[in-house]
Amino acid sequence: MPLPELRPILLVEDSPRDLELTLAALEKCQLANEIIIARDGAEAVDYLFSTGAHSGRNGGDPTVVLLDLKLPKVDGLEVLERVKKDEKLRHIPIVMLTSSREEQDLVRSYELGVNAFVVKPVEFNEFFKAIQDLGVFWALLNEPPPGYRGQGAG
Amino acid sequence: MDHPATDLEACAQEPIHIPGAIQPHGVLFVLRPPHMAVVQASQNAERFLGQPVQYGEPPRRRLDPILPKIAAWHGSSEPTFQMPLTNEQVTVSAHRSGRSIILEIEEASYPPLDDLLPKLRSFGQILAGQSDIAGSMAACARFIAQLTGFDRVLVYRFDKDWNGHVVAEHGNGKLPSYLDLRFPAKDIPAQARALYAANPIRIIPNASYQPVPIEPSVDPEHGKPLDLSNAQLRSVSPVHLEYMRNMGTAASMSVSIMVNGTLWGLVSCHSANPHMVSAPIRDACDFVVQSLAIRIAAQAHSDDSARRVELGRVTAQLLASMTTEASWLEGLVGDGEALLAQVGASGAAIVAEDAYLTTGSVPREEEVRELVEWLRAQGEAELFSTASLAQHLPGSGRFADVAAGVIAARISELHSSWLIWFRPEVVRTVQWGGDPHKEVREEGRIHPRKSFDAWREQVRLTALEWTGAELAAARDLRTAIVGIVLRKAEELASLSAELQRSNKELEAFSYSVSHDLRAPFRHIVGFAQLLRERESDMDPKSLHYLNTISESALAAGRLVDDLLNFSQLGRTSITYKNVDMNKLVAEVLRSVMLTNEGRNIDWKIADLPPAWGDATLLRQVWFNLIENAVKYTRPRETAHITVSGNGSDSATTYTVSDDGVGFDMTYSGKLFGVFQRLQRQEDFEGTGIGLALVRRIIERHNGTITATGEVDKGASFTFELPTVQPKGHAFA
Repeated sequence: MPLPELRPILLVEDSPRDLELTLAALEKCQLANEIIIARDGAEAVDYLFSTGAHSGRNGGDPTVVLLDLKLPKVDGLEVLERVKKDEKLRHIPIVMLTSSREEQDLVRSYELGVNAFVVKPVEFNEFFKAIQDLGVFWALLNEPPPGYRGQGAG
Repeated sequence: MDHPATDLEACAQEPIHIPGAIQPHGVLFVLRPPHMAVVQASQNAERFLGQPVQYGEPPRRRLDPILPKIAAWHGSSEPTFQMPLTNEQVTVSAHRSGRSIILEIEEASYPPLDDLLPKLRSFGQILAGQSDIAGSMAACARFIAQLTGFDRVLVYRFDKDWNGHVVAEHGNGKLPSYLDLRFPAKDIPAQARALYAANPIRIIPNASYQPVPIEPSVDPEHGKPLDLSNAQLRSVSPVHLEYMRNMGTAASMSVSIMVNGTLWGLVSCHSANPHMVSAPIRDACDFVVQSLAIRIAAQAHSDDSARRVELGRVTAQLLASMTTEASWLEGLVGDGEALLAQVGASGAAIVAEDAYLTTGSVPREEEVRELVEWLRAQGEAELFSTASLAQHLPGSGRFADVAAGVIAARISELHSSWLIWFRPEVVRTVQWGGDPHKEVREEGRIHPRKSFDAWREQVRLTALEWTGAELAAARDLRTAIVGIVLRKAEELASLSAELQRSNKELEAFSYSVSHDLRAPFRHIVGFAQLLRERESDMDPKSLHYLNTISESALAAGRLVDDLLNFSQLGRTSITYKNVDMNKLVAEVLRSVMLTNEGRNIDWKIADLPPAWGDATLLRQVWFNLIENAVKYTRPRETAHITVSGNGSDSATTYTVSDDGVGFDMTYSGKLFGVFQRLQRQEDFEGTGIGLALVRRIIERHNGTITATGEVDKGASFTFELPTVQPKGHAFA
């Protein structure tokens, strides 16, 4: 089995502090994947759909999207909905990261087809562990489905 | 009273309007305009004319002077014609019948009529002086007796079943008194009543008369018998003549009392001997009775109006009580006196979806519910009323002492909700003019009864009749109630919409807290950790500070989580199921002990009865109580924790006891409050929400929780859950 091309991880996070902490956690995993950062939902959508500032961008689809729920402009649930409704993008794994313990968010996310839902724990060690697990699982272990865009051709 | 149908009612089939004969005290011609040709004539016409009847020609000679006047009347719109024949003791009257004119000639002597008008005027004054209907009727009977010379004059009133009741009488003693006697409906069959309504006055001067046939018997043009509905001379049924003879009367006259277009009663006159009253006097009688009828209508109308005004006032009072009380039902029954006065009832019950309320004397609840079931089965009616429920609902006679009469008003479309008023049975003694149940049969013929002696019958299972005003009041109140119920429903709906909005706001608030309040604590903990990792050679004091920052933020974060959990509980709906408490406790025990490895605990767990509640929430209760027990026994070398339960019909109780540090009962009131802690933070960690959460869950299950404890001896928590979810409250 050829080693899959290393595709980037898209991290969508508006809070600079959460961003820093998440990056620190991902760094600890020592992943080789490039980490692409989007600071709001609109930017994330532009990147995923190669539109706006990201039109004609290089590289294939991200190996995983770590998506904050509450985002300016276009919120996380909407980003999720648009990706999961798109024929070509729906196979991209999306992990919802959220402060919220609200049941309604969880229910809505699963209805929209989220791949995982993680409530950011207050305890930093737990948070690190969650981020690391996610990064390792989606970036290294998870085999993308056949015909997945970005594998090879890009 | 309900009378069984008898063969005597067969005479109700008799076509009495076409007897084909007249009484012998007059002569009848059927004339065809415009030539006034004779079509039919009574057999005695030849004797009256003094020559044979020439059919197809006008009746000649004796009637010559009056024929032009009849032709003139026929061209007018006057309903009847009446005129004395000049210089003869004869009165001619005429009325139209199809294309023909029926001409009736009575050979009766005219008394001097000069004093008739003064008499009528004085009667008018007498009538005006009467304060009630009874007085008016008595005055009328007396006046007609004087005017006509009949031996006995009765005022006879029909009840709703057409039984007659003699309500006034004037007699000279030659005939027995019938005052207050009743006569069954079949004495005056339906088609006779129809004739009475159409033709207000009838006379039979001699009950032993020989009928005079009409010749030819049918109209040669269309072959139909002559309709004598409006003819004064109409020959009556032989059964009726026999009835009169059995009554001991040889002559009779009756005048219809028409009130508001319906036959209210009769003025019925009798004589022991044959007796004739001339047409003008009969007309005067008609006038007198019409005056009485107007008087009766006015009196009834004024009684009814007064009653309606009074009942309307009661309705207004009830409405006021209904709208000021918290529940309109309670308002209605709270003002029980007014509720009963509304229709003049002695008891009332309201049967609604989740309420059963009564006032005054009512049947037992199961009897009322039986009635409601029956009412429901009857279908659509909004209002049902009867003075004798036993006639409608078999078996209801057993509670006729409180509920012989009933008005039931349906007050909800959705549920079978009823407001029912009751009246007790009034045992009355009714005097019949002869035994109405008795049939006389001989030689295959039915005869009217021979004895009219008072025959007493007790009327049972019947209350006083509800009046029109009372029924209208019941209907009004029903309309008002339905209106109020609707308005209350609308108010509730708007209140619930408001609650929903405020709930939404609360949800939005807690959603925002859940996101925005947690994040900073997470950041503090995270960056403190990063700093600790980066500065590996931090001095112990700095490290202590850093750890304190971290722990504080962590504690605050947990607090936020617990608070959110607590507030969410108020919103989550409870899913009731049978919950196996043994399973829950076993699972909770494993879960608690995961974080308490190394503790030495002696568990005593009894077999627990199942509970009725929400499994997820009850698990939280067990978790918090057992975790507390484990936590507060930490100083014990070997802790003893007991879990037990008890079931009864109405509730199950569960207890968790430990031999830990316990608490001072002085502070037991604070135990279940939010953020209340009875232990110092450094001894036992916690946010102070756990027991508040437990109590909230138990209360949402309509249960209770209590705690007992003693410092350094231990604590015991007992909660009780109802075995079934209680339904809406019922009123006594």
